[in-house]
Amino acid sequence: MRVVIAEDQALLREGLRRLFEDAGHEVVAAVDDADRLRGAVSEHQPELAVVDVRMPPTHTDEGMRAAHWIRAAHPQVGVFVLSQHIETAGAVGLVSQGGFGYFLKDRVLDVSEFLEAAQRVARGGSALDPRVVASLVGGQASDGLAELTERERHVLSLMAQGLTNQAIAQRLVLTERTVEGHVRSVLMKLDLPEGDGGHRRVLAVLAYLRAADAR
Amino acid sequence: MQRPGDDGRVRRIAPWALVLLIALLTVVAGVLFVLNTKSEESGWEVFFGVLTIVMATGVGFVLATRRGENPIGWLLLLLGCILGLSAVAFEYATYGLLQSDDPLPGGRLAAVYDQATWPLLFAPVAAIAFVFPDGRLPSPRWRKVAIGALGFCVVSVVLMFLGPRDFDKPFEAFSSPLPQMPEAIYFPLFVVASLGLVASLLAAALAMRTRKRRATGTDLQQIKLVAYAATLIPLAVAIGWTESLIAGSAGVAASASAGVVLIAIPLSIGVAVMRYRLYEIDRLVNRTLVYVTLTALLAGTYAVVSLTLGVALGSGSTLATAAATLAVALAFGTLRARVQRIVDRRFSRARYEGLRRVERHLVDLRAGRAVPEQTGAVLAEALGDPTVELLLWLPDADEYVDASGRVVSLSAVGGRELTPVRRGELALGAVVHDAALSEQPDLLEGVINAAGLAIEITRLRAEVQRRLAEVQESRARIVTAGYEERRRLERDLHDGAQQRLVSIGLAIRHAQGSLGGDTGDAGAQLDAVVDEVTRTIEELREMARGVHPACLDDGLGAALRDLASRSPLRTEIAATTERFPEQIEAAAYFVASEALTNSVKHARASHVTVSAERSNGSLFLRIADDGVGGAVAGERSGLAGIIDRVAALGGSVSVSSPPGEGTAVVAELPCA
Repeated sequence: MRVVIAEDQALLREGLRRLFEDAGHEVVAAVDDADRLRGAVSEHQPELAVVDVRMPPTHTDEGMRAAHWIRAAHPQVGVFVLSQHIETAGAVGLVSQGGFGYFLKDRVLDVSEFLEAAQRVARGGSALDPRVVASLVGGQASDGLAELTERERHVLSLMAQGLTNQAIAQRLVLTERTVEGHVRSVLMKLDLPEGDGGHRRVLAVLAYLRAADAR
Repeated sequence: MQRPGDDGRVRRIAPWALVLLIALLTVVAGVLFVLNTKSEESGWEVFFGVLTIVMATGVGFVLATRRGENPIGWLLLLLGCILGLSAVAFEYATYGLLQSDDPLPGGRLAAVYDQATWPLLFAPVAAIAFVFPDGRLPSPRWRKVAIGALGFCVVSVVLMFLGPRDFDKPFEAFSSPLPQMPEAIYFPLFVVASLGLVASLLAAALAMRTRKRRATGTDLQQIKLVAYAATLIPLAVAIGWTESLIAGSAGVAASASAGVVLIAIPLSIGVAVMRYRLYEIDRLVNRTLVYVTLTALLAGTYAVVSLTLGVALGSGSTLATAAATLAVALAFGTLRARVQRIVDRRFSRARYEGLRRVERHLVDLRAGRAVPEQTGAVLAEALGDPTVELLLWLPDADEYVDASGRVVSLSAVGGRELTPVRRGELALGAVVHDAALSEQPDLLEGVINAAGLAIEITRLRAEVQRRLAEVQESRARIVTAGYEERRRLERDLHDGAQQRLVSIGLAIRHAQGSLGGDTGDAGAQLDAVVDEVTRTIEELREMARGVHPACLDDGLGAALRDLASRSPLRTEIAATTERFPEQIEAAAYFVASEALTNSVKHARASHVTVSAERSNGSLFLRIADDGVGGAVAGERSGLAGIIDRVAALGGSVSVSSPPGEGTAVVAELPCA
C-alpha cells in the first residue's frame, strides 16, 4: 500500500514512516504541513494519507481541513486522521462517508490493530477509535439512545468503529447469533435500516448520530 | 425717506441735543428762580425739582446712548424735557406776573402752561410702565390700551388749556388769555378725561404686574429690581407722616426719604434696562434686608434685656449689660439663620426652595431613604437646571469621575459652565451647569455649599467604586491571564510531552520489530514498556483536559457534549452554537463540569439537563438534575473556586436546591 504521511513532529513522522515500512508498505512522501500534504497527495495519488490534526501554522485544525480537502479532491484516497485528543466536531462529516479513520495518537502503539485499521480505511472502510465513538455515542440528547441497554450501547459503539458482527462477537465473547440479535434491536430502536455489515452499517449509525447531534 | 446713516447719526446726536436742551431749560429756570425774590417757593421744592430732572435726564441719557433701541431712555429724556419746560414756564410766569411791576409779555401764557400741563407728566411715566423692561408692550393687545392712555393725557392737557378755570396759587390774581369753553361742554369732558387718566395709570400698573407674572430669569430680575425701588414710595410716605406726627410738619426726614425715592426709581430703571449685575443686586437686597432686620431684632433684644434687668437691679448694673450682651450673642446664630430663611422665602424663592431640597436630601441620606448617587439629580432639581452634572474629583487618579466612578472627560461639558466645589481645603469636584446659572451666584453657591457634605459622601463612594472597578478589572485580567496560561500548558502537554511519548513508543515498537521472529522475554518486557507509555499518555491527556479542555476549541456546545459523553448520567445538552470569548466559554465549561461532578457524587441523580444560551448580553448556563436536592454551596464544595472565577469575569452563580426537587445551578456570564 502507498502511503503519504503528514506530521509536523520529525521524530513521530519518522516513527510512523518506519512503522509502515516495517510492515512492507511504501511511504511515498512524509511531509510536515497541510500544504505539502495536498501537494503530495495530488502528486502521488496514494491509497492512504495519514494526517495529524494539529499542524503549522496555527496548530488548531489544519490537518482536519486538509482531510476534508482530500476527501473532496481525491475521493479514492483513504484518509486516516491522528489526533492528540478527541475532537469530534470536524470529524463527523468525514466519518459517515467511508474511507476514513480517526485514532488518538497513542493508539498507533498497538501496531497490528493500527495497520489493520489503516488497510481497512485504504480499502474504503471505516476505523474509529473507540474513545471517539464513545464521545459520539455517549453525549447525545436522543430518546432512541436512551432506550438502549448497556449491552446494546456497547454493541453500537463497536458497530460505529466499523467492526463486523463476527468481530464484535469475538470482542464481547458472545456467539454471533446473540450479537445479531443485539444489532437488530439497536437498529430497530434507532429506527435504522438493517445493513449487510461493513461500513454501510457504520454509515447508518453515524448518520443517525450526526442527525441527533444537529438537533 | 431717511437713510440708515442719517438715522444712526440722529440717534448719536439726539441724546446730547436733548441733554443740552434740558440743561439749558434748567439753567434758565435756575436763573429766574434766583431773580424771583418775591416767590414763596422753598429751596427744598427746587432741590427736588432739579434732582428729578437730573436723575431722569442722566439715566435717560445713558440708556439712549447705550440702549438706543429701547424707547425707555428716550422716554426718560422726554420726561426731563417736560419737567424742564414746566420749570421754565413756572419761573417765567412767576417772574413775569409776580416779580416785575408790569406784567411781561407771555407771562399769562406761561402761567397757563404751568397750570395746564401737569397731565403731560403722566405720559412718559405710563409709557415706561407699559414697555418696561424690553421696550415692547407685554402683548399686541396692549397696543390699544397704551394708545388710549396717551390719548387721555393729551385730551386732559387740551381741556386744561381751554377749561373755564381760574388759576391756582400763586397766580390766582390772573386769568387765561386763551379762549375758554363753556362750562356745560367742559365739565362732562373733564370728568371723562379725569376718569380716563386714572384708568390709564391703573392700566400702566397692571401692565407691570402682568409682565412680572409672566417673567422668568433676567426679565424677572429686571422687574423685581424696579419693584424693590417702588416699595420705597410707601416707605417714604410713611416716614413723612411719622415725622409730621411727631414734629408737627414734614422736615428733613421726609425730604431725605423723598430724595432717596427720586434717586432710586430712575436708577433702578436704568440698572434694570442695562442689565448691569442684576443678580448681584438681588443678593445685595437680600443681604441688606437680612442685616437690617437682624440688627433691629438684636438691638431690640439688647434694649429689652438691659432695660428689664436695669429696672430690676437698679440702673448702671454691669450685670444687666453683660446679660444683654450674652442674650444677643446667644440669639445671633439662630436668629440669623431664621431671618435669612424668612428673607429667602419671601425674596429669593429659588434659593429658598433649592436649599430646602438639599436639606431634605441630607435628611433622607441620614435616614437611608436616599443614596449618595442621587446627589447629582438633587442638585439639578435644587438649581432648577436639568443639565446639571456632578463631577467628583479623585486627587489620586488626577481626574473627574461621575457618581458611579466612571471617568468623565471635561470635553463633554460642552457650552456649559463648571463651578468648582470645595469643602475647606479639599477639592471635592465640580458642578457642570447652564451658563445662565452663573448669573444667580446666590442660588448656585448657596445650594453647592449646603450640599457639601452630600457631595463629599458621594465623592468617597465614587472613589470606592472606582477602586472596586479597578480591582475587578485586574481580577478579570488575572483570570484571563490564568486561562491563557492553562491553554499554553495544555498545548505543551499535547504537542510536546505526549507526542514525544508516542515517538518513543513507536521507536520501541520498531526496535521490537527489528529483534525479529521469536522475541521471547525481551518482547514481553517491551510490550509492558509500551503499555506503560500508553498509560502515561492517557494520564497526560486527562491532566491536559483538567488544565484546559481542548474540545473548547470547537465551541462550548462541543465541549459540553464531550463532558456529557464522559458522564455516567443521562445528560441532555441544549447549547447554542454561538461562540463567546474564550475565557467565558472556559468558565462556563468548568461550572458545568463541577456541577455535573456534584450531580454524580452527591445528588443521586439519574438525569441531567445542561443548557447554554445568550440572553441580554450574558451567557446563561443552567445545569439541572433530578436528584435529592438539598445541596449547599459551601467553602469546601468544588463549586466555590469556580464561583470565584465566574465572579472575576463579572458574572454570578446561583444554586437552587430544595430538598427532594433536584439541584439547579445557574451561571450568568456577561459577554456583551
